[in-house]
Amino acid sequence: MILDLHTHSIKSDDGRAKVRNYCQWVRTRNVPIDGFVLTEHRQFDFESDYSGLARDFDLVILKGAEVETEYGHVLVYGVTEPLYETFDFGSIGLPLEEVIEHCNAHDAVAAPCHPGRPRVGMSAHLAEHGVPKGVRIVEIYNGGSRGEEDAVAAAMADELGYIGIGGSDSHIVSHIGRCATEFPEPVTTEAELVAALKSERFRAITTR
Amino acid sequence: MAESIPTVTAIADVEFGGELPAFTPDTSIDATRRFGQHVGWNTPRFTDHDGARKEGLPGAIVPGVMSQGFLGAMIHRWAPTAEIITIDTVFRAPVLVDQPHKITGVVTDIDEDELTVEIDLTVTNEAGETRVFGTATARLPS
Repeated sequence: MILDLHTHSIKSDDGRAKVRNYCQWVRTRNVPIDGFVLTEHRQFDFESDYSGLARDFDLVILKGAEVETEYGHVLVYGVTEPLYETFDFGSIGLPLEEVIEHCNAHDAVAAPCHPGRPRVGMSAHLAEHGVPKGVRIVEIYNGGSRGEEDAVAAAMADELGYIGIGGSDSHIVSHIGRCATEFPEPVTTEAELVAALKSERFRAITTR
Repeated sequence: MAESIPTVTAIADVEFGGELPAFTPDTSIDATRRFGQHVGWNTPRFTDHDGARKEGLPGAIVPGVMSQGFLGAMIHRWAPTAEIITIDTVFRAPVLVDQPHKITGVVTDIDEDELTVEIDLTVTNEAGETRVFGTATARLPS
């Protein structure tokens, strides 16, 4: 089961992709993924129902979020209304350790993304803030990475004992599936995704 | 002999997922200097590598609006009769002057009622890094 764990739609301020077009693209171009997670910036999209599209295109479409902390951007999986009320998803300066604590308390998972990226990635902030408590998973393959960013992320993950996921970070249709995460078992709901991530049985993949 | 570029003339010619002919923009310092002269932007960041470095840049950069012009040119080379309605870009990293770049485009939506197509556009450097991405909406004849 291969899921792109990091995508954005037009719900994000810099996203330009309609979810239907993502589905069409995956099927028309035989992109080797079974589904994707919409991780919109600084919000969780409670409104949209993609179950019809998922059925029509035989794809898994899940929802998460990408929030912003003092260590850079962080993906959150397993968002529920109670979790959403515990901190301000729209803030650009959330304390990462508190985000992780809240996620743990609400059976969700937080994973720093593109950690090798200057300014908005975790590794750039380790010297200033130290190693944060509670991180288990980081994104080691990001479809938007430039230069050595993925290598920096992988080296940081190795050094600190983190497990890697992959996601395209697509903002336009044709970038979906460039990086993804493979799971040994089916994942069809947000709860199953959280369980699969907590099992720590997955591997990051890249097609770039 | 001039290169023959496949073109489309009507919306019926367009398929979802169809690729536009790749476009190699002229990112030379001569081109950005000419552009700067025409638009009145003779700032070193666009026209002089050393001057740009003094501003903290890795070298001279192609003005964003010039990159958008390349995108428009690419679309019109593919569909000469198209009316470009929007070009919406996200600048992720500078397009560096005197470095080779490539622009790719693919059709990612077709609205046959409105006679419009949506095109994903990506500007990459030689390392394959995305520097600019965006979408364009263009209207084509029926």
